[in-house]
Amino acid sequence: MKLSIPRACGSWSKSPPVSTTLHKPISFYSSIPSSSPLKPQVPLFLRPPIHSATLSDLQKWHHWAKTLPVPHSDDPPDPTLLRRELKWLLEDALEVHSSVPQMGSHSDDRPIKLRTSLEQLYSVWRQRIEERRPFQYVVGCEHWRDLVLSVQDGVLIPRPETEVFVDLVGDVVTQNGDLTQGLWADLGTGSGAIAIGIGRILGPRGRVIATDLSPVAVSVASFNVQRYSLQDIIEIRQGSWFEPLKDVEGKLSGLVSNPPYIPSDHISGLQPEVGWHEPRLALDGGVDGIDALLHLCNGAASMLKPGGFFIFETNGEKQCKFLVDYMENESKGNFYDVKIVPDFAGIQRFVTGFHH
Amino acid sequence: MAAQSLWRLFLRVPSSSPSLTAVATARRKFGMSCRMSFSSENSSSGSGSREFLGLSDEQLMKQCEMSTFKSSGPGGQHRNKRESAVRLKHLPTGIIAQAVEDRSQHKNRASALARLRTLLALKVRNSIDLDTYSPPLELLQILPAKSTIRTSDCGPQIGPNNPKFALGMLALLDLIFAVEGSISDAAKLMGLSTGALSRLVLSDDSLRMAVNELRTSKGLKPLK
Ligand SMILES: C[S@@+](CC[C@H](N)C(=O)[O-])C[C@H]1O[C@@H](n2cnc3c(N)ncnc32)[C@H](O)[C@@H]1O
Repeated sequence: MKLSIPRACGSWSKSPPVSTTLHKPISFYSSIPSSSPLKPQVPLFLRPPIHSATLSDLQKWHHWAKTLPVPHSDDPPDPTLLRRELKWLLEDALEVHSSVPQMGSHSDDRPIKLRTSLEQLYSVWRQRIEERRPFQYVVGCEHWRDLVLSVQDGVLIPRPETEVFVDLVGDVVTQNGDLTQGLWADLGTGSGAIAIGIGRILGPRGRVIATDLSPVAVSVASFNVQRYSLQDIIEIRQGSWFEPLKDVEGKLSGLVSNPPYIPSDHISGLQPEVGWHEPRLALDGGVDGIDALLHLCNGAASMLKPGGFFIFETNGEKQCKFLVDYMENESKGNFYDVKIVPDFAGIQRFVTGFHH
Repeated sequence: MAAQSLWRLFLRVPSSSPSLTAVATARRKFGMSCRMSFSSENSSSGSGSREFLGLSDEQLMKQCEMSTFKSSGPGGQHRNKRESAVRLKHLPTGIIAQAVEDRSQHKNRASALARLRTLLALKVRNSIDLDTYSPPLELLQILPAKSTIRTSDCGPQIGPNNPKFALGMLALLDLIFAVEGSISDAAKLMGLSTGALSRLVLSDDSLRMAVNELRTSKGLKPLK
């Protein structure tokens, strides 16, 4: 990967990076027209238990699912993980999870209440195995920190790495209480994960604006915000990066973002669960993967108030170093205390700092 | 031999026994859903477990190196990463606690930390000078009422279901360790009959296992 300032600079100074913003999601399953108002899907675990199946039919399904052959792949799913996913699928699908342990004993006609039909269970597990549909899209949710967030086709599944944002914000507001009462922004909020995580830290006096260009993301993020009763703290706006934030220029106490950062030509080689199913708009960061990050760095100085704090997630060491270098040289004097923070796997993942 | 080397950790004698970690790894490979393990590398100098257990979660976390099982590759947006497993290595003692069964990284970390506390209580002994020994309150509290060293201000006996039992158990293990696993010697020091102390030890699984591990390593018969 070669990072070239001139090209990237060119793209942000004229307009937002067109190459990344105009990609259509490549997900095969998102049949949602982007113009009509969207109704988010309800995650499996929140659906009413209006279906039922006998225990023995459920056992048959379970046995079938455990032994369904995985098609050949260079990057096959881990069998241990699949077994765990199957257990979680049952947890979400059954009204009473405690009926799961009896899966071993046979010929039982007791009816078990389900949140989806047995046919659907066959069909979704087939999709999981044969189409490599991500488990989180199958059950419609992801457990992230202590939250359970709704996700669906067209919305990025929040990653465990990203959980660190919330800790970093927690640390910075304990050291600097003023930041709690200020206005924060989460750009490219996706499922709303980061906004909700920090909204709960800031408490009743905090305010977060979460934005996304994708209408599906906007509707899913709103659903999640309401589920955690944070609608008075978090406001969702649709639009490209800073565009929906014109009224709060220079007023932000905090700016956080996990923008798309994968270099375009890596997209086709991604793990099938990611490359085949997650929205390209959420992943593709242009030729070097850094288009959106540079756009955000450049806007940060005018959006943040003095002493305001920022965190950006990156693809790793190369992008981190590039950004730090860029902030120290190109936008001299705008930022201080610019740091690289590693994720739990020791990969240099985040760039943080303050605005002068 | 395995038990012998296992107990060395309790003694804080540096020893190298890679077999323990190997066993844990092997078990993990066979897909058991949760694992506690410890390795004896890096056994520490002077600190007993009481000192560690007094720390807040955050302070304890700071003494740990955290890793996930699959940390290779670029991670982040590249992966659909269901393996949110957490492995904590407590650097002062080398004890490793891990959790994989939960659906979020955050919760696995909390479970691993809770497990680490149990392991610290069970595996890291505080040394006792028998000549000047006087049993701490938390130990007196888990003793049955008939103990002659128990005073009336200790309150009713605390059982294994009470969260305070763990601290008493820790003190009891320290003492049984100091008398090299002899239940009759320990019983004398606690003003109890040997039978009464045996019953106490057998009332809690982890206590029983820790005591029996020690006894086996000293060539004594396990309590039943
Ligand atoms: C990597 S995802 C992160 C989602 C979420 N913040 C998280 O961490 O799980 C990037 C997000 O940026 C959004 N995005 C892409 N281009 C955008 C743009 N021009 N303006 C606003 N959001 C954009 C995508 O729709 C996607 O939700």
